[in-house]
Amino acid sequence: MDAQRAEVCALEAEIAALRRACEEPRAAGEDAGLVQKSLREIYPSDSEGWASSKDLQSHLEHLESELLFLSTLTGINIRNYSMKTEDLTSTEKTEKSIKKVLQKHRLSGNCHMITFQLEFEILEIQNKESLSSVITDLNIIMEPTEYSELSEFVSRAEERRDLLMFFRSLRFFVEWCDYRKRTFQHLKDKYPEVVHLPEGAASSCMGVRSACQPGFELVVVWRMHMEEEGKVFPKLDLLPKVPQQALELDQHHILETAPLRFRTLLGVLGIEAALESLITSLCPADNQFPANTQREDKLAQPFES
Amino acid sequence: MEWANDGKSKGGVLAHLERLEIQVNRSHKNLEDPQRAQAVEHALRTKIHKLRCLRDELRSKVKRRQARVRASIANEEPDQTQEISEQEVAERRQENVKAILQAYRFTGLSGKLTSRGVCVCISTAFEGNLLDSYFIDLVLQKPLWIHHHSIPIFIPLEEISAKYLQTNIQRFLFCLCEYLNAYAGRKYQADRLQSDFAAYLARPLQRNPLCNLLSFTYKVELRGQFLFCARLLYKDLTTTLPTDVTITYPEMDALPPSWEEQRASHENLFFTKPLHQVFTSFARKGEKLDVTQV
Repeated sequence: MDAQRAEVCALEAEIAALRRACEEPRAAGEDAGLVQKSLREIYPSDSEGWASSKDLQSHLEHLESELLFLSTLTGINIRNYSMKTEDLTSTEKTEKSIKKVLQKHRLSGNCHMITFQLEFEILEIQNKESLSSVITDLNIIMEPTEYSELSEFVSRAEERRDLLMFFRSLRFFVEWCDYRKRTFQHLKDKYPEVVHLPEGAASSCMGVRSACQPGFELVVVWRMHMEEEGKVFPKLDLLPKVPQQALELDQHHILETAPLRFRTLLGVLGIEAALESLITSLCPADNQFPANTQREDKLAQPFES
Repeated sequence: MEWANDGKSKGGVLAHLERLEIQVNRSHKNLEDPQRAQAVEHALRTKIHKLRCLRDELRSKVKRRQARVRASIANEEPDQTQEISEQEVAERRQENVKAILQAYRFTGLSGKLTSRGVCVCISTAFEGNLLDSYFIDLVLQKPLWIHHHSIPIFIPLEEISAKYLQTNIQRFLFCLCEYLNAYAGRKYQADRLQSDFAAYLARPLQRNPLCNLLSFTYKVELRGQFLFCARLLYKDLTTTLPTDVTITYPEMDALPPSWEEQRASHENLFFTKPLHQVFTSFARKGEKLDVTQV
């Protein structure tokens, strides 16, 4: 019995100890905050990281809004970019003061519907007086588009390694294409009977046909001319399609001189009004709109010519 | 009887009685005690059993707790990496966005949002040569206004702002971009002519700040004494090729036909090629001539 009593005493003592042990960890080890605290003491740098996690998030948001602003402003959306550098500084004593670094850049993105991928190298040479940065190699990869004007322009940009001109002209080109599309669509909506867009509004052709003059069609070919220096100009041509008999009757060579006259018209009226006057000249009278309504829905032209 | 047989029994009757009493007591006790003892023992056993149960329960509880604490400490590693990986994702994105923002300088326009608007950086280049950049700090409120800028005074900034600033900020910046790039390009060409082809120049090249009027006198052949005087005018301030080129020959009244031909071809070259490239072609031709003369 004494042994049993002793066991009871021992058990009671152990239980008391266990109860204390049960309560202690709740206060110390189990608390996540305290665990973190102890870990923070171990890894002080991480504690800063945790503390600034919110700052990071807000900083990231700020950067994202900057990115959105720049892509809207420039019209160019850069999706991926990476850069590697290579130190080409010569180890020879005489050239040590000249620092040479080769940067290899890769960049991809899009300008509206045109996507591009660029690879270019920049050689930076720094001596005591000056720093020069020269693009030594430029490769432009573009998905084939319906815009035939672009391929020549791209190879010219590559040849001259003129990256800034590439972006500048691409932007202008896309704006002009967008304007052409809007103009064609607008005219098609306004004169659905007369205006024909055989390859869609995004193409460079617009046909004008009237039911009153069958077999007679005026085709407007509107292309973008990308100049050597990178400027982009619209270039419009008029191609009359006329039956042979009509040509024979054209004693005053009106049809022959039509393309030239169209050019003059463009110079005087501007693109949209010139096209509209061309359409109304073929249109039945009741389809014509008074001059003031024509003015109101004038589209914004990208650049003043 | 015992005591009768043993007359010599110790202690006499009283002692015997005492012994008997003790015996009785003892037998009594023996009768009661087992019952009591049993009860006590039973109670103790129950108690021990209960205590053991409680102890075991507590022991396992403590074990579980310790295991959990240990696990949570051990788990801090994966937890931490998870936390870090989220953070890493954010950090990586941040680095990526920062790099892309930097890369916008290659499009010609980059910038930073400010508390009041935006500070735009306009980069310039001529062909592959990356040249100076300029900034313009815009306050985005109605009406829009320019707070600071580093655009050279001779660039017609006021004229461009009057035209576009209030109506189309994009066009305003594109236009400015064109002017600045053309200026940088003209300046670059003039600088290159001066630095790389000084041997051809009879006297230092003269230029206006906009670099849209250049005039220089150069040796038609490096070793010859014959001089041409060129005057290049860039009427369109957004171009890097001249709109007017005149070449005169200051030292002679009339030129032999072959020279006149050369004069005309030089004029044509200046119209179509950047200045320093024209001189590169002269130098190349000169080398060829040297070779043929040898």
